[in-house]
Amino acid sequence: MKSAKITLGVLILLTLISALFAQQTLSYSAIIILALAGLKFLGISYYFIELIKAHVFWRFIVAAFVFIILAIILVIRY
Amino acid sequence: MESAKIDYKNIFYPPGGILIWIVIFLELITFGMALVAMAYSSKEEPEVFHSSRLLLNSTIGAINTLFLIGSGYCMAKAVHYFKVNNLKKASLFLKLTLLGGLLFIGLKGVEYYDKIEAGYTIGYNTFFLFYWMITLFHVIHVLVGMVILVLVFFGICKKGTEANIENIEASAAFWHMCDLIWVLLFPVIYLIF
Repeated sequence: MKSAKITLGVLILLTLISALFAQQTLSYSAIIILALAGLKFLGISYYFIELIKAHVFWRFIVAAFVFIILAIILVIRY
Repeated sequence: MESAKIDYKNIFYPPGGILIWIVIFLELITFGMALVAMAYSSKEEPEVFHSSRLLLNSTIGAINTLFLIGSGYCMAKAVHYFKVNNLKKASLFLKLTLLGGLLFIGLKGVEYYDKIEAGYTIGYNTFFLFYWMITLFHVIHVLVGMVILVLVFFGICKKGTEANIENIEASAAFWHMCDLIWVLLFPVIYLIF
């Protein structure tokens, strides 16, 4: 359960960093914001749902899903 | 109460069971495709999407993210305490999880009220068409998740409960799915256009 507490702290931190980058007018802000969203997605699925303890297939398929969706959005966006 | 050990390393037994994961992936793919469609439409009308995105309150979106993340943490704690047969703490964390959901719905209601008052309804432009459809669909999932958690709560509070860990984990996985969807919706709808 210690890992869930650490994950909570990291997720809050990543949310705040995303909000900060959203205020910037940098051309690559969207890349950073979506990358942070991907990390948050993995944090929730691996440590809150405890997929980290599941078979490697489930860890892989969740990571592949979020990578593909975010990559498609970024490719369309740029 | 059943306390059988589940072999999580078995490919057919992800947390909550394989059936809830089929549902989760179908939902994630549906929302993912909607977000891809939204990004594609933004290429056709970039100015409309940018100016409309600025009409959203990203602070409310960020606070709602914190509510859902916090309730996700409480859900994880509730499952943990259920596993170690501490039903008192499990029900306490379930209540906190539900509180997080209620706060999310309440703040979303305030946001929707503001948008409707300002005239930014579903027919206002393409951006708001996507905004309303995707976020409302997500809110429906949160409401369904809360109903499931209320049923779980009453289930584990009942004396001589027959609730088993697989059902609790499946309900928790559904609730976490709402977090997962929101974690993708928030940056795409509120931040990147």
